[in-house]
Amino acid sequence: MLTFVIRRILILIPMLILISFMIFGGLELTPGDAVSQMLSPEIAGTISAEELDALREKFGLNASFLERYWIWLSNVMQGNFGYSLASGVAITDVFFDRLPATLELATLALFFSSIFGIALGTMAALRRGSLADGSLTVAGMLGVSIPEFFFALVSLLIFALNLNWLPVGGRLLPGYESFWDRAPHLVMPVMVMSLMMTAGVMRYARSAMLDSMSKEFMRTARSKGLPEWRVNFLHGFRTALTPVIVLIGFRLPTLIGGTVIIEQVFQWPGVGNEFVQAVRGQDYPLVMMIALFSVSAMLVASLIIDVLTALIDPRVRLG
Amino acid sequence: MANAYLNRKFDKMRAAEEAGQLKSKGGGRALRKMLNNRLAVAGLIIFGIIFFAAVFAPLLTQYDPGKIDLRARLQPPSWEHIFGTDATGRDIFARVIFGGRISILVGLGSALMAAAVGVAIGAYTGYKGGWADMVALRISEIVTSFPQIILVLMIVTILGQSLGNLILIFVLTGWGQTYRLVRARMLSVREEEYVQALQSFGLGTFRVCYKHMLPNALGPVMVNVTLTTAAFILTEAGLSFLGLGVPSNIPTWGNILIAANDLRVLQNNWWIWLPVGGVISLFVLSVNFIGDGLRDSTDSSVQG
Amino acid sequence: MKLSFKALALASAMAVATPSAYAQEVIANPFSDVRVRQAIAYAIDMETIAETLYEGRVILADSMIPNGSFKADGLNDYAYDPEKARALLAEAGWDEDYVVDVMFYYGDQITLDLMTVMQAYLADVGVQMTYRKMEGDPAQLTAVADPDGDTSVVAWDLAYGAKAALVMQEYYSVYADGESAYTPGNATRNELLGRINGTANIEEQIAAFKDFEQFENVELSDIPLYYQQLYIFESDRLDRNGGLYGNDQFNYDWGILNWEVTPDADGNKVLYTNKGPIQVFFTPWLNPGLQIASKIVFDRLLTADGSLVPTGGQLAEAYTVSDDGLTITFDMRDGATWHDGAPVTAEDVVWSLQTAMIGAPINAVMANTLTSIEGAAAFKAGDADSVSGISVEGDIVTIQLATIDPSVLVTFTQFAILPKHLLENVDPLELQQDAFWQNPIGSGPFRVEEVQMNDFTRFVPYEGYWGGVASFDEIVAFPSEDVDPNVVKNAGAGRLDFGFTKSVSDVASLEAMDNMRVIGADIPYTRSLRVNAYPNRPVNN
Repeated sequence: MLTFVIRRILILIPMLILISFMIFGGLELTPGDAVSQMLSPEIAGTISAEELDALREKFGLNASFLERYWIWLSNVMQGNFGYSLASGVAITDVFFDRLPATLELATLALFFSSIFGIALGTMAALRRGSLADGSLTVAGMLGVSIPEFFFALVSLLIFALNLNWLPVGGRLLPGYESFWDRAPHLVMPVMVMSLMMTAGVMRYARSAMLDSMSKEFMRTARSKGLPEWRVNFLHGFRTALTPVIVLIGFRLPTLIGGTVIIEQVFQWPGVGNEFVQAVRGQDYPLVMMIALFSVSAMLVASLIIDVLTALIDPRVRLG
Repeated sequence: MANAYLNRKFDKMRAAEEAGQLKSKGGGRALRKMLNNRLAVAGLIIFGIIFFAAVFAPLLTQYDPGKIDLRARLQPPSWEHIFGTDATGRDIFARVIFGGRISILVGLGSALMAAAVGVAIGAYTGYKGGWADMVALRISEIVTSFPQIILVLMIVTILGQSLGNLILIFVLTGWGQTYRLVRARMLSVREEEYVQALQSFGLGTFRVCYKHMLPNALGPVMVNVTLTTAAFILTEAGLSFLGLGVPSNIPTWGNILIAANDLRVLQNNWWIWLPVGGVISLFVLSVNFIGDGLRDSTDSSVQG
Repeated sequence: MKLSFKALALASAMAVATPSAYAQEVIANPFSDVRVRQAIAYAIDMETIAETLYEGRVILADSMIPNGSFKADGLNDYAYDPEKARALLAEAGWDEDYVVDVMFYYGDQITLDLMTVMQAYLADVGVQMTYRKMEGDPAQLTAVADPDGDTSVVAWDLAYGAKAALVMQEYYSVYADGESAYTPGNATRNELLGRINGTANIEEQIAAFKDFEQFENVELSDIPLYYQQLYIFESDRLDRNGGLYGNDQFNYDWGILNWEVTPDADGNKVLYTNKGPIQVFFTPWLNPGLQIASKIVFDRLLTADGSLVPTGGQLAEAYTVSDDGLTITFDMRDGATWHDGAPVTAEDVVWSLQTAMIGAPINAVMANTLTSIEGAAAFKAGDADSVSGISVEGDIVTIQLATIDPSVLVTFTQFAILPKHLLENVDPLELQQDAFWQNPIGSGPFRVEEVQMNDFTRFVPYEGYWGGVASFDEIVAFPSEDVDPNVVKNAGAGRLDFGFTKSVSDVASLEAMDNMRVIGADIPYTRSLRVNAYPNRPVNN
């Protein structure tokens, strides 16, 4: 087991280095000027060129690409990720300030979609061929076909604007103390994200469940005279769990990608929203760093998923 | 070896049958197949309608999608304008079907190209193995471990926003899935007897690879193309909605939806965003139906 | 040389030098022909656009100068005339294959719509056009070419933008020889500029402006599009109680201490607004009124009325101006303190002025005043330790100008004084990066109570404010940039009690709400198309 984990980690490290190299390269390719970033065009029109030049003079650039990469990398290892061009705030501060908000959304969405997805998928598998199954299938298809932002806009329209049941966006208002105070703000973003993801999880859960239901060992269990429900839930379910966990792992990129759009529509102050602002505002260091963070998170998460899968299903360890 | 493969397949079918009987839901499997087929057929019809509407767009509407008419702005649907007009007086129906051209080009076109790239690389390196295989595998792992929208936006930041760039970026970020698929097939088929026979006849790598082994993989590849198309269309819509996809002077389904960011439009001018959103959803849904149908027909070992 | 990481980070982000005219392909620029510029003006139907797209809420502009006493008579308004446009284009030998490159920097939908509309109108007279949003380096808009050269540095043909002027001179000083990105030097224009800048006499100035306007009306260095009001909105819970409504983008005496607020359901007198910090509080020197904090946390030497005409002292109890306009004294007020209790002294004023001279970018009008101070150049160059033109005697600060500056007093109504004792050890070039700007301390009527970056910021009245304590409990500001997409949302939810917008679409929604009212304030704000009139320009790739 340990060798398995070590082996995976050893593969992870060069990948991370390669990715960091790509990201630094990307950063080098971007145009733009740090100083002028802070000016709005209406004001910039009247700043003299000499003043701007003087500011630029202060930061010379004479190290080679590799030298700069090495310095950048060592800074990154020490936790210094540079500064946002737009506000001059340290990127680590920006990122970790925003992270809780996104994690809130993401974990809740992951939680609900996994529960509902597995439950509905299992139900559909058990009632295979019935009307319930058929309609769940179609609903599932619909869920993965509707654009996320469209669904978000529609729910915004119905629940926030027309019915006024839920707030229009944002995460906090002054005076909020407990979690329940700000729960209403969470409802719509989480609901939208969960519904979209549930559809995907449900389909996979269903086919994984069906797959395992027909296996030989199930027949054996049945022939032993075990009650049907035990056969299904205890034996079939656990084997179905492996691919489902893997597939939840595959959901993770969708999860992160989903937060980008949902946070925009609901003005949720998370990392995804910050990422879009950074792209719009050509804040290259911030863009690259958030990309680096998210891909590292993905790789680490997939490592964890692999380890979990290996724990549950010993066959994987050999592969 | 071929025998063992067949044996396993028969076992599965038998087990399924028996399981079906135990369930006694009465013709469950048959119903399933029919339903699937119906969905796939429905998907094909919807896909066809939207696709040909986009292709034959100029014939379907007298309006130029870019023609403004400020005095006739924000009009609800009427006989004159089937979907109404937008904030500058452009006919929305025209914009939807012309926009479909770009969206479908980006979605389907990129998916096909990404698949082509994935197939080419996967077949070659899967067959050859060795160093090239290692490198390609690692690169594809890196590419697929980025959340797609983040990778796309990162490259948009570097390369800039344009239609061509977007297609390029989609292909760059999307070839990984097909590659893995084809490579896996290659790896499993490589050891088959008929391949070794071909090799002993002295046929070149290229021919063995592309002419003889590849056709086996085509089924799943086609399914993958449909999935990728669906994903790309949704991603393009999302990106354009954020203003970071196709530049806004080219109409695409996502671009048309930018107007819905304005809450006034959202509340009062439903015709600007609802039809477009519906069209996107229907199109992607139809693609998914087709994909599901393809999957069922090409890979009968899949249950249900 | 010790390279801080930040320096390297910034430096490595500047991989590409500012566009050089020599490195790129250069083409002849048809807009150097005045007939082409006039044709474009005739080709766009601004009247219809104003009525429909802008819902009648903007005023058509026939000159950069807004309506009022500075306005010339009998200007050509270039009313929509596509026939004339085509004739002019034919006369100028317009090449139908030429694609006009239009750049803009606003991110809102109305601008996109305007671009679409412009494209259609231009296509109607045979002109092809593409449009793009300016990304990244603002030098794309403002980089100036060699005065002797005839190739512009900027790569666009037309740029849609605005001029929000603090003083009238700002409209035309941008054309100064060797200082304009899009207008090449011209003897007549130079002479006219000399006349408007060379006198403090209002009558002479007005005459000079009117002549300038007539000149520009033909030359069209800018194609004026429309004047826009500032739309100040208020909820019914707020009563300004005699406070002024004026140019809310800047600082003036809006009487915030006397505002009356209806308590909310919990009995709290809380006001909600926008323009809170998203990630950081900006220094109030570049944009004196962009963030709400800049306006309520900081005080200035002088206060002004709604049109930014100085009306009295704030941190200065009294001030005098010499007859020749070159010597200004400020008598500092006793009892003015910073939010941490330290007193506001003349030292803070001197330090602020000196830091602004060598430090981060500041507003143009303020920058102009600073460079006019005697000894400023020597101080900036490092030849002197202090500025000879700034002297302190007890509580009195004396500013000696080397050259006349017609807007010196306006500067001091907008230039915030910052606390020397908290910032004196910070490198002026990295002022904005200091941690001070996560929770700033000023001397204004409100202090920062709680900051949740990107969620909200709470301000409470400063108990030790020299002018008294505000009568309501607190101000809550939601984060936003200059253009706030959430105005309507928040107002509808009862979470926006005051603020302003320049967006026409916001106004219609706000007016439809029962609890909100909108007051239009006339400010000098003209939107126009800058025209690149250099004989050649580089191609944008």
